[in-house]
Amino acid sequence: MAAVPSSLEPMKLGSGYHTPWWATAAKWGLLAIAGLFAAYVIQKLISSGSWLGVVITAFIAMCFLAVYGTRRAVPMKYLLPGLVLLVTLQIWPIVYTVATAFTNYGQGHTLSKQDATDRNLANSVKEVEGTERYKLSIAVPEGTDVATGEITFLLTKPDGSMFVGTSKGLEPLAADGIEKTDTGKITKAPGYTILNAREANKRSKDLNAFAVPVNANAGIKSVGISSAFEGAPTLKYDAAADTVTDTVKNVVYSPKNAYWTAPDGQTLATGWKENVGTKNFSDLLTNETIRSGFFKIFLWNVAFAALSVMSTFILGMLLALLFNDPKLKGKGFYRSMLILPYAIPGFVTALVWASMFNQEFGLINSLTHLNIDWLGNPWAAKAAILITNLWLGFPYMFLVCTGALQSIPGDVKEAAKIDGAGPLRTLRSITMPLLLVAVGPLLIASFAFNFNNFSLIYLLTQGGPFAADNTSIGSTDLLITYAFRLAFAGASPNIGLASAVCIFIFFIVAAMSYSGFRRTKSLEEVN
Amino acid sequence: MAALVLAGCGSSGDTTSTSSTTSASAAASSSESSTASTSETSAAAPAEVDAKNPSRADADLVIWADADRAPILTKYAQQFAADNGVTVAVQIATETRKQFGDATKVGKGPDIVVGAHDWLGELVQNGTVAPIQLDEATAAKFAPAAMNASKFDGQNYGVPFSVENIALVRNTDLAPDAPATMDDLLTAAKAAKAKDSKVSVLLDQSVGKTGNAYYTYPWLSAYGGGIFALKDNGDYDADKVIVNSAESLKGAEQLAMMGKDKVLSTNVGDDNAEGIFTSGKAPFFFTGPWSIPNIKKAGINYAISNLPSLPGGDAMKPFLGVQLFYVSAKANNATLAQEFVTNYVPTKDFQLALFEAGGRPPALTEAYDEVAAANPEVKAWYEAGKDGKPMPNIPAMNSVWGPLGQAAADVISGKAEAKARFDAAQKEIEKAIKGAS
Repeated sequence: MAAVPSSLEPMKLGSGYHTPWWATAAKWGLLAIAGLFAAYVIQKLISSGSWLGVVITAFIAMCFLAVYGTRRAVPMKYLLPGLVLLVTLQIWPIVYTVATAFTNYGQGHTLSKQDATDRNLANSVKEVEGTERYKLSIAVPEGTDVATGEITFLLTKPDGSMFVGTSKGLEPLAADGIEKTDTGKITKAPGYTILNAREANKRSKDLNAFAVPVNANAGIKSVGISSAFEGAPTLKYDAAADTVTDTVKNVVYSPKNAYWTAPDGQTLATGWKENVGTKNFSDLLTNETIRSGFFKIFLWNVAFAALSVMSTFILGMLLALLFNDPKLKGKGFYRSMLILPYAIPGFVTALVWASMFNQEFGLINSLTHLNIDWLGNPWAAKAAILITNLWLGFPYMFLVCTGALQSIPGDVKEAAKIDGAGPLRTLRSITMPLLLVAVGPLLIASFAFNFNNFSLIYLLTQGGPFAADNTSIGSTDLLITYAFRLAFAGASPNIGLASAVCIFIFFIVAAMSYSGFRRTKSLEEVN
Repeated sequence: MAALVLAGCGSSGDTTSTSSTTSASAAASSSESSTASTSETSAAAPAEVDAKNPSRADADLVIWADADRAPILTKYAQQFAADNGVTVAVQIATETRKQFGDATKVGKGPDIVVGAHDWLGELVQNGTVAPIQLDEATAAKFAPAAMNASKFDGQNYGVPFSVENIALVRNTDLAPDAPATMDDLLTAAKAAKAKDSKVSVLLDQSVGKTGNAYYTYPWLSAYGGGIFALKDNGDYDADKVIVNSAESLKGAEQLAMMGKDKVLSTNVGDDNAEGIFTSGKAPFFFTGPWSIPNIKKAGINYAISNLPSLPGGDAMKPFLGVQLFYVSAKANNATLAQEFVTNYVPTKDFQLALFEAGGRPPALTEAYDEVAAANPEVKAWYEAGKDGKPMPNIPAMNSVWGPLGQAAADVISGKAEAKARFDAAQKEIEKAIKGAS
């Protein structure tokens, strides 16, 4: 028996086992559907021009075919779906966040430098003062294709005089054979094909770049399909010197901090996205406001997460112990009542608690006859948050503790009793250690969750109350709400900086979870 | 399916329009953002209004609007489509401000988007909107304030269609007459409180623990104060913050007094201000047209009048919020988009139709005149905002909402003395603006 190589066992088994035909058919059917789906996605990606997406999708499809189409790579058959989801939903966002943390991406810094410069120039085009509007018909020379022919403006001034505008300039248009509407828009002109609305619209890109030059600076541009104006940009880009000049105010803007900046510090509105290296990280570490705030917030964040876990665990465990007593009647009813707070959506609960904490109109002060400014006093607000989180969190702990307690064998407790241990001693030396082994990892998960418990804070206090001289750092802010304010709601939404904060949070949570898991491991070894 | 989408969005319509006005205020924008993080629609494309409409892939023009206005817009878009032999898709957008930015960045945005004027600074900074060259004659047809609101750095970027602002809404059962001054208001409110034991709040104004700069501004403006000084050309000057000017401080001291006298309270905030009024607990309410549907639903008899004048100062002047049509800088159909906003939006019929959908005073003078003649309520809103200025649309305003709101809250709650607190707010705002640019 021992002489038979163990590797032969599965082979023997395999030779005697035939895959039923329907299983094979189902497998290939599913693979075909997956292939069709991939083809559909790829086609969509091609039409939107995302070549990287095409390559990635094709690669994933090929992986699926190789893993499920062949008999090899058995472990992969189980792992692949999870791996794909892991990469797309976890790894990719992390990579993207890290990449963003090294840029100045945020409000005013979303475009490339080229695009931003173009935008600033385009936005500076203004109607030349004292000029009149033209009635416009967009045309191409007769005989050319409406989709590619040279764009020609047929223009009528308010006084009725008519012109032909091309990229070469403006020329008078003879009145012979011209038909016009009441408003003066030309509807027919010999030698030209007038574009209808849809044809003109299809050439929006050309029209955008097109202007009938009037002089060195100004040109006639279209507004829609029926009127044109004489406009001139007030900004000029000098590619050689890499500067933008305002020709009206006579100011030269040069690139600084990802903005076109004048010597007096004024900037053009649209800035660009650029790599800033480790600036976001060094800002977090050196900026006085951010630094003092960061540590203050960090301390509260740790305290909040730890106290939340402890309070909910202790309450949940005590209740679980209570309701685990075999002598208690109607346990099912009590237990389901206790799970209710867990069943109501947390958002609703948080908003209800927020209104209950209202100093003047809230239930809590009116029941207790206290006059605590729950959401306005920094310490009271912290207490309010912990109380709300206790309400929200204890049913979960109650559930897991109940489950864990029921899995502790009764004979262990009996043995302790025989050894002369009282109920307290049994709890401390027998029940608790066994309970902690089971719920320890859950406590760590709960800690990590509460560490980033964004919605509770935002719905209850929005991070406030704030100190008098700094409304960017609130006394109940967590790092995550602080990062959110930096990124989206602050003075200048800065997603790069917020990404840097997120990376710090990631390492903090990772370090804490790591040490936590090591502890539970040693706990297991004791047992 | 289409009806379902409409119904689903319709219920949130009021909130959308509310947040569009005050979206820039710290409280409102944060609540907007928190929904963003919770709503599952964040990545989904906006719903089509009507199954009969072309899907956006075939459309020659794509317009995004909120759920209230989309149906009306569809009607006029169809007319535009018929006139020009093209197809137009009107889509309902939620979280429009954020979605428009995100979608435009990846080239999936609409050609035209309907939005509030105070988004403008951000949109220009991010390069997502294109200038709209309205000719002078057309521009002159609009209320000047509305036209100002659609300008940034001297360039026009929008075509306005409605103006909204806060006014004094009173419960006519509790306070029959419109007070002209704050003293009158308080006298009437105290009388109402003496008469009806349910009345517990003399003046219902959203303050909240973190404050609300949108509702703080009228107190400063009554004395000629405000947030930014004006440049020669009428633009707001980001380099001249006047939050602690002598004029603004007079307003701040009024706030302190109102807090001390228990007229205003930080316990009244966005979450309960409307409820206090609709439950008959307050005779007077500073609010905008967005509260009216709920006030009507609660069966409160109400009337709208101008904000009162403050002792030793002028009448309080509210911020104006203007709704605009923007053209995307990355529009695939820029030509038709420009045609639509320059030739169809500035017409009386169109503006009247949008009034029917939104109930806000139209921005086109001709349309407003017609509406005001038949509808005294619209006239009352307009009169209350007549001397108001548009909410600043410069990016620096981002740096103001938080600090100014909190300063007002601290002064009202008595935590800080008015001058010191507003000095600190001024310093913080200036520092934030400098850091941001």
